[in-house]
Amino acid sequence: MTASPQDSERPQNTRAIMTFLREHSPFSNMDDSHLAHFAEHASLRFYADDDVVLSPEDGPVKRFYIVKQGRIRGERARDKDGETETTFEISQGECFPLAALIGERPTRTLHRASGDTFCLSIEHDTFVMLFSESDPFRDFCLRGVSSLLDQVNQRIQSGAMASIGSSNSLDTPLERYAIRNPIVCSPDLPVRKAVARMHENNVGSIVITDDERHPTGIFTLRDLRTMVAEEKGPLDTPIGQVMTKDPCCLTAQADAFEAAMLMAEHHFAHICVVDDENRLIGMVSERDLFSLQRVDLVNLARTIGTASHLRTLVSLRTDVSRLVDSMLAHGADSGQVVKIITTLNDVTVRRVLELNIKKNDPGIPFTWLTFGSEGRQEQTLLTDQDNGILFETPEGMTEDQVREKLLPFAETINKELAECGFTLCKGNIMASNPKLCLSGQEWDDWFIRFIDASTPQNLVYSSIFLDMRAVFGPTKPLELLLDKVLARIRKNALFQKMLAGNAITRKPPLTMFRNFRYVQEDGKKRNLDLKRQGLAPFVEAVRVFALANGVGEANTLERMNKLAEKGVFDPKDANAWQEAYSLIQAIRMRAHQEMLERDEPLSNYINPDDLNPLDRRILRESFRQAQRLQQKLELTYQL
Amino acid sequence: MLEQIKDWIERLRAGSTGGPDREHLPTPKTAGDQRLSDCRLIVLDLETTGLNGAKDEVIAIGAVAIHKNSVDLGDQFDLVLRRPELDISETVLIHGIGPEALTRGHETEDALLHLLEWMNGDPILAYHSAFDQKFLEKTLKQILGYTQPHTWIDVAEMLPAFFPDAKTGGRGLDNWADFFGLEVSARHHAAADAMVTAELTLAVINKAQKNDLITLKDLVGKLKYYRQLKNMHRPN
Repeated sequence: MTASPQDSERPQNTRAIMTFLREHSPFSNMDDSHLAHFAEHASLRFYADDDVVLSPEDGPVKRFYIVKQGRIRGERARDKDGETETTFEISQGECFPLAALIGERPTRTLHRASGDTFCLSIEHDTFVMLFSESDPFRDFCLRGVSSLLDQVNQRIQSGAMASIGSSNSLDTPLERYAIRNPIVCSPDLPVRKAVARMHENNVGSIVITDDERHPTGIFTLRDLRTMVAEEKGPLDTPIGQVMTKDPCCLTAQADAFEAAMLMAEHHFAHICVVDDENRLIGMVSERDLFSLQRVDLVNLARTIGTASHLRTLVSLRTDVSRLVDSMLAHGADSGQVVKIITTLNDVTVRRVLELNIKKNDPGIPFTWLTFGSEGRQEQTLLTDQDNGILFETPEGMTEDQVREKLLPFAETINKELAECGFTLCKGNIMASNPKLCLSGQEWDDWFIRFIDASTPQNLVYSSIFLDMRAVFGPTKPLELLLDKVLARIRKNALFQKMLAGNAITRKPPLTMFRNFRYVQEDGKKRNLDLKRQGLAPFVEAVRVFALANGVGEANTLERMNKLAEKGVFDPKDANAWQEAYSLIQAIRMRAHQEMLERDEPLSNYINPDDLNPLDRRILRESFRQAQRLQQKLELTYQL
Repeated sequence: MLEQIKDWIERLRAGSTGGPDREHLPTPKTAGDQRLSDCRLIVLDLETTGLNGAKDEVIAIGAVAIHKNSVDLGDQFDLVLRRPELDISETVLIHGIGPEALTRGHETEDALLHLLEWMNGDPILAYHSAFDQKFLEKTLKQILGYTQPHTWIDVAEMLPAFFPDAKTGGRGLDNWADFFGLEVSARHHAAADAMVTAELTLAVINKAQKNDLITLKDLVGKLKYYRQLKNMHRPN
């Protein structure tokens, strides 16, 4: 090999290490500049026979090692007799400990030198630099990591490393935010004095507490404005009479995402942080959560929730897309993003309903139901309307008479939602369909027929009704209905088996040799359907387990959580499946955003050749997890 | 490291004050209570025009540092000196440094000043250290008028003291390198020889710590005892 001029200027020992590295994978495929970076930052250490190189007690692994000479053996205590056994051997040119380093955790295996051993190692920051800069190195490191979970974590972390370096993700527990010491007062304090106290402390809110420091109310500048504008009372009024009662509270362990969702849903900007005994310990505001992210979620939700015209709502939809874009760019987790989209969609649906009730109240109490992906809170930007109405029949009216009043109303709603970007459902699963605008009793009868007399064919189309949620109106009627439905399914093993059989009809798109199986492969088009082939196997299999085990949640990730809690899923499996599902969802959403950018219609098809090698590998591994989940279903129901 | 030296030489040429101050060069440290586990040790090797301390000269300096039981590649020294006037015919086949390399080498005075600065007065280890010590001290005195004595430790003496049973088949650096299965990337390249010497030193320090030798003084004490023992056994 001819040495580049640069190479000859490097110190001999640096060159020698580069030569050594080049003889081993993955270094043989790495750029010289990256090898030089490795060599210049390496340290060499010696370990005599039996010396401990790395131990689980050392805490999170900080260095990346390569054996320059000698051998390392991994030791673990056997579960059954506590005897030590050698789990692996690492010899010259091999690297360790990949999984622990990437997972930023301690090693689970004691690493011991076997004979006189020299290791080269680099520090974490050098490792991170090479990991983010060198594709062959990153691929190698991830291949060495067996569990998907570690891969995913790494992927997210490397994404974060590569990005602007905003370190606060929405997963951060509230206690890690600078929780401000809130200004407090008792309920008998006159408003005038409370406001003076806020003014002195230059804050926008005050928390009203009882003698044991339990928050009983909150009063903000916005409340003051309303109070003055609407002449609710003199400024001497005790604050207890004008405060917002029962303020929203979370514990310090809750994460920023929960706080953000609460704020978005209820349109307020402050949340009390309390300890386990509900005593006030702090306060977080919208600004605290989002100052770093510049994600204007709460404000957007508030604007949607208070819009006074349909056309404002329509125009706000582009902001939703922009928000999703910026969240994805900030490396937000796909589970969070779909929830945010769903929350914003819910706010839109609610506002459309409220505006119409204001204009033309049908005068019948009803609950607006959503089914399918919206029911599961898993909506992306590409979304159909799947909705229905559950009403209470007023005294002296027949159900058909109620429908006469509600159906025209529902039709307007469906039409206006379509204007907001919620495509009309081709299968007519919409509230304006007389078959889906029913009383509690009628819904119950419908489900009895559905569960007792279902055929595998009609099941395919109907299972979305089992993912059901109330978006508007009283929730109690739906809870009553769901209790009955769940109890019925739990008792009906045949229905479960049929549902399970249905769930495994869609196989993950992998061939026997773990290559991708394409939907269509005519010449250039090699497409995968991420929704039907990728997500559906998870959604459907998890639904069966959830319904069979009395899990009332509709959200797929939450269903998996509950199933792990109930011991139906092994926690490790549940974790892997959740990650796999989230990843497919993330790849799908990224594709959607890219299509929007190119002004193309949204679709769920992607060509895996367009993905980078890492995403391809992760996608393949995610599909493999879907196969495992289906296998569990087959085993459980002996299909 | 090379970049640092270049920067420094550039600055020196530009007449700025960043370079080492001749009046305030580091004072050599003695072998005292500094702990083996965290003191810095220099491992050095020289290439010369020949073996005669009276007439031969240093032409290349290679060195690495041991700190916290490890050799950091970011902390090393590897320079050929600019001494085109020297006759290298006797040794050119050994070290491969020809007249051209000596022309392109680094200005000797600057290089030595920088070496002193980089060594920071830390103890110097070398294989057959008497040779390197003689040549380095002579050169430092000639060129810089620097005469402060560093602490020198002979790795060739440490190895048999700590591995008395090793069957090395000889006392040379190559014998010990073979015994530990080490590969020398470029034998008789000052920096590569320094590196392999450092690798052997790591093994010695590992053994020393297991024998409860904690400080540099303990280590030097053990070597002194070993020398006395050897002299007693030496036939008269």
